[in-house]
Amino acid sequence: MAGSRDVTVEVTVNGTPHTAEVPARTLLVHFLRDRLRLTGTHVGCDTTQCGACTVAMDGVAVKSCTVLAAQASGHEITTIEGLAPADASGDGLHPVQRAFQEEHGLQCGYCTPGMVMAIRQLLADNPDPTEAEVRHGLNGNICRCTGYQNIVAAALSAAAHLREA
Amino acid sequence: MFPADFSYGRARSLDEALDLLAAAQADGEEAKLLAGGQSLLPMMKLRLATPQTLVDIAGLTELTGVSNGDGTTIGALTTYRALARDPLAAGRLPAMTDALAVLADPQVRARGTIGGAVAHGDPAADLPAVLLALDAQVRITARSGSRVTPLDDFLQGVFATDLAEDEIVTAITLPPGAATGSAYEKFEQPASHLPLAGVCAVVTVENEVITLAKLAVTGVAGRPFRARHSERALVSAPAARDSLAVAAASVAEGVRPLSDQHASGPFRLHLAEVLARRALARALARARRSQ
Repeated sequence: MAGSRDVTVEVTVNGTPHTAEVPARTLLVHFLRDRLRLTGTHVGCDTTQCGACTVAMDGVAVKSCTVLAAQASGHEITTIEGLAPADASGDGLHPVQRAFQEEHGLQCGYCTPGMVMAIRQLLADNPDPTEAEVRHGLNGNICRCTGYQNIVAAALSAAAHLREA
Repeated sequence: MFPADFSYGRARSLDEALDLLAAAQADGEEAKLLAGGQSLLPMMKLRLATPQTLVDIAGLTELTGVSNGDGTTIGALTTYRALARDPLAAGRLPAMTDALAVLADPQVRARGTIGGAVAHGDPAADLPAVLLALDAQVRITARSGSRVTPLDDFLQGVFATDLAEDEIVTAITLPPGAATGSAYEKFEQPASHLPLAGVCAVVTVENEVITLAKLAVTGVAGRPFRARHSERALVSAPAARDSLAVAAASVAEGVRPLSDQHASGPFRLHLAEVLARRALARALARARRSQ
């Protein structure tokens, strides 16, 4: 046999190492939600289009519905739960999360964790984006409530705060 | 959505990957190589692909990175994200930069690889158009030895390539080119971001005469193709708008277009002509600037 149907996954999630035996076909998003009970990462379209399942793998945003848990073994994952530093001043929010609150960047909230994780990456790559760059940079994330206006406003506001920080 | 059950093996070296492929074959199993998985895993979730074994090669660092020597060599496992940020590729290959900015989305670009784009044989993948126009060659390794084949021969049809079950694409190589202008233009399906048509143009101009032209089209036919008819019409033509329009009009000469729920055949052909015109105009403008 060239491989195995059950695999041992050793992965660090939000700074905590985990080891688990899972079926090889387990997707990272299900591993996070069902095994580790980190349900902040959402399953939306399940077809790599909506971005609700976005997490950071070794610091880079990826869609966890299109990564096997087995592929994540040996890597570091950050989910929305682990985004804010433990010593976050006061409200325990990452600046992108705070900007969503201040700019009313959500309505139903389903896409929000993925949006926040995608914007974190966008601003890491481009700390001073134009509005057009924010809109294009979020083309891997779908929101069906807001019309994106306040999500873009939140991204630009977070960018300004992060540049001052 | 889960993929159908499969066995998973992670290769720690190219040798081990070849061993795992051979072992699967010895057991009579269909094995697929897993790199970024951004095309394969969605297909497996929809049961459009049901391999019994996945050989994960994503960790093979020897197959990543860009190097310049006699031309440019891009490791098969170089991600789109890494490629877009690599100064050797980004600065020198404007059409590649164009394509990498509009290919899928940022999260997919962080995982998807150039080798996967080629080996998958998707008729609507963006990068093969750029690579075809740049005369790319595909480097392939198997237990029995290595070979190099032009991408134009490697791509055979809808999800069909000249890659045997015991072979691995290890690199894409681009020949050294004279200073030319290049550009990529696409019209995308908004949900998948795949091109309904995408065109890459490479143009060299001297004294306002086109001396070299390469044009490749994706998303329109069963496989990305070179528009040789248009290329012949461009060489020795004056570097003027009319020449570009005449050449663009025959960009899909003799091609039987794809037709599906996203776009009819005639619409795809129309898009190909418009995009060929735009890509040629931008490539020409860049060629003039680089003189």
